[in-house]
Amino acid sequence: MARDSAIPPESFEEILAWLNPDRDVAAAMYVQLRHDLAKMFMWGRCGDPEGLTDEAFDRVAKKVRDVRPGYEGDPRLYFRAVANNLIKENHKKIKTQLSLEDVDLPEPQVTEREDETAADVEECLQRCLQTLGANKRELILAYYAKEKQAKIDHRNELAQKFGITVETLRVRVFRIRESLGECIGRCLKRKQK
Amino acid sequence: MKEEILTDAVLREFLLGKLDDEEAARIESLFLTDSEAREKVLVIEQELIEDYIEDSLTTDDREKFLLRYGQTAAQLQQLRITKAIKDWALRESAREQTVPVELSSWSRLRARLRLKPVFVIPIAVTAMIAIVCVAVWLNGRMKRAAIEQELAQLNTPSNLREVPPQMISMELPPIAVRSLEPGKNFTKSADIQTVELRLPWIQKERYSTYQAEVRHVGGDESFTIPNLQPEKDGLSIIRLRLPAHILSRGQYQIRLSGIDSGGVAGTTAEYAFSVDG
Repeated sequence: MARDSAIPPESFEEILAWLNPDRDVAAAMYVQLRHDLAKMFMWGRCGDPEGLTDEAFDRVAKKVRDVRPGYEGDPRLYFRAVANNLIKENHKKIKTQLSLEDVDLPEPQVTEREDETAADVEECLQRCLQTLGANKRELILAYYAKEKQAKIDHRNELAQKFGITVETLRVRVFRIRESLGECIGRCLKRKQK
Repeated sequence: MKEEILTDAVLREFLLGKLDDEEAARIESLFLTDSEAREKVLVIEQELIEDYIEDSLTTDDREKFLLRYGQTAAQLQQLRITKAIKDWALRESAREQTVPVELSSWSRLRARLRLKPVFVIPIAVTAMIAIVCVAVWLNGRMKRAAIEQELAQLNTPSNLREVPPQMISMELPPIAVRSLEPGKNFTKSADIQTVELRLPWIQKERYSTYQAEVRHVGGDESFTIPNLQPEKDGLSIIRLRLPAHILSRGQYQIRLSGIDSGGVAGTTAEYAFSVDG
């Protein structure tokens, strides 16, 4: 879904101010909110999560001056409501398209390079592993060293070894894993250029 | 309340789209507003992706998963990245498990120490020092055993009856008497191979055998020569023969003990002499 307008600067500032009085905190919340809304669109089985996230922010930007003064509660929940409306609209649109006989089905939403190979991913993985500290690399290695049933016992043992709960271990690995995934994603994007 | 909602099982159902709208809305709200809840949802999502890659999902869950996570190029890329990380970890783990079988103990030790020279060098130096110390100790023990054998041989009754060439003989008075006499001295030379010491036994007690302990004063080594027999003269004299090569410059003390029929040491007498040259 293409965006036909950018958010006007004053609306953007209004959104930031609404998210948090501290502009730096607000900026960080803004970035995370974009990421989280894209997740919601993905969970809502929408084909273009990024485009719909833009659309959600556009809609909020158009109404923020009117809505903000009377709104009570966390503003992110307002974004959620807007996103839910968009998900419903998206589903309705797809249903309508499928019910019309001579409609052209939309092109697949694949916009990134198709020939991204396992070798590219492997190369980027190795590069990004080098940027991780040795401790983090070893933790990731140990955490993913087993599969299926064996991994449950293995991770329990690992948590015991570090003197932490399995929950803490999962979160710790998730954070490392997320930054590793982002690094690989950026590396793959550079390769496509 | 949050913990009740956000169990692993509930979150998996949420991520696969199995929850009703009301429950899903509650989780979405927490996901957007609570950083802890957000992280938990993402952890479970990561585990769900892992289970898909391991082919651990039921057919129904697999279909639901692909509808949400296998549609766009970005989603497919995420799956490929997760697969690459898992494959790497499994590969490395398998390699670590096979390495110890193929390598020597030393290599395994090095591998265990992660090949850090900071550990390997001190260990190698320590091992070399230990080897040298053991070699020196073994060499010392072998030398000592050879000397003790030579001493025993020299002092057997049959050998004591013979007078070998290149031997000098001197009588050492017991220390109590010596105080009135000048100390005995032996000068080493190439032509003297054996030194015979004649040790008068002036104690009242008489024994069938004696045992001598020869000690270099200031040194920590001593030799014990058992089964020495007295000459059958009016004054008992015990002869003790020493190979000249074991004597070095300095003072020597001899402690002579009578051994009774039960093998127990009885009265003792002490003697001394010095070595020059």
